[in-house]
Amino acid sequence: MNMAGIVCRTLSRVVSSQTSCCSSVVSVRHSHWFTSILSPKTSVPLRAEPKKKKKVDPRREQMMKERLKKKLKKLERVPPELIPIEDFITTAKCFDETRVREVPKLSFEETERRALLLKHWSRYKFSQHQAEMAEIKEALEAQRQALEELKIESEDLYKAAIGPDTDLFPFQHQGPCYTPPIPNYEAPDGKYNDITRVYTQ
Amino acid sequence: AAPFRCIYRPLWRVITGSGRLTVGMRNISFTENHFSATNHKTASVGSPWTLHGAVCLQRLPVISQDRNPIEEEFSGLMQQMELERSLLSDHELRLLEDAARMSRKQEEDYDSDEEEDYGDKEIVTAQDLEDAWEQKLKQFHPAQRSNGDKLDVSSSERCLADSLVLLIKQDVGSQKVWLLPQVQWKAGETLRQTAERALAHLPADVKATFLGNAPCGFYKYKYPKDIQKEGSVGAKVFFFKAVMCSPNHLPLEKNSFAWVKKDELKDFLTPEYLKQVNRFIMSL
Repeated sequence: MNMAGIVCRTLSRVVSSQTSCCSSVVSVRHSHWFTSILSPKTSVPLRAEPKKKKKVDPRREQMMKERLKKKLKKLERVPPELIPIEDFITTAKCFDETRVREVPKLSFEETERRALLLKHWSRYKFSQHQAEMAEIKEALEAQRQALEELKIESEDLYKAAIGPDTDLFPFQHQGPCYTPPIPNYEAPDGKYNDITRVYTQ
Repeated sequence: AAPFRCIYRPLWRVITGSGRLTVGMRNISFTENHFSATNHKTASVGSPWTLHGAVCLQRLPVISQDRNPIEEEFSGLMQQMELERSLLSDHELRLLEDAARMSRKQEEDYDSDEEEDYGDKEIVTAQDLEDAWEQKLKQFHPAQRSNGDKLDVSSSERCLADSLVLLIKQDVGSQKVWLLPQVQWKAGETLRQTAERALAHLPADVKATFLGNAPCGFYKYKYPKDIQKEGSVGAKVFFFKAVMCSPNHLPLEKNSFAWVKKDELKDFLTPEYLKQVNRFIMSL
């Protein structure tokens, strides 16, 4: 191997001395593209100086941080707790066993009386409903005929009658109570403590 | 004019299709299509009927009605059943506890130190509370439900549980007749304004809300032949419903004014008039 190396070198010296005199071509050896045949095969990028990773790394690091932050946020984002509807929750008081009422057992006559009374009541209510419907129907029929007659009489009055009444609504009226109102009565102030629970989300 | 009217009346009714009445569901929605044809009478100049506007002023019930025997029985049954199916309330539990404590006190081997929550404070038993509440209720004196039969027909405080209608005695032609307050229509005003005028003509100052622009009923009558002038065969009265807002206590003349229930109407009004008026006056 040493002999071969020495031979190669003397040969290349000879060649280079010959060529340097003849042509202006730079010798092969002096260029970095071509290394000696004996040295290991490496490409230029591999042998180059290591690159300074300035911009790309911080960017990549930032991206990683952002991704981690987003994941954290997703985990921490709890859906807002729903406000409980108090009407739908049966209070614990209802399940208290000490509150069960002692119910006396009903006799046969009592159950019979109740069943017959319920049937009588349904018949009474039905007839009442029929009477009310008939009255309303009659009143509507009377109104319809009145409007017909009015139309025959005069078109303008009919149009005025059909038109909506803007002053009617909002309509308020005090309904019937058990006893009539006392004239010039001063009602006492009603004091109360408001204990309604207010929920915030 | 009359035969022409008879011919085209059924025709336009067929073409337009009258309003729908949804009675079964109790919602009173009434729509009527407007039929505008070329051969249609616009002015009432040619019609031989004089128009009047009348007001059906109602005082709605102030107190609730008394129950029928069947209603009394049923309400009693409902209360009984509700009581049977209910749980004991806080107040009832307290009553039971107090009763138990009392019975324990009566025993001979009673030791007050055994009581858990007794301490030195006074006991206010639930029964005491109940008595105190009863006393407080007795201090309040509500107004009487029924005034009895002392009141006159002309007072609006009469039957507080029913709705009353105002009638007045007016001259119609040569006779004095009981009817709903009416006034003749003037040109240039709507019929509802005529009805409002009729209300204003009453000596009593009443505040009433008119229920809508449309009339609720009508009544037509022909004048007797000697009074029939060239233009008018008779009169058409259109009724408008109004509801009295505030109770007025002004006394009205006995002979010319009356507040009347639906069943008492027949004692005052003429049969034909009554037939039409009964249709829209409701005793619900």
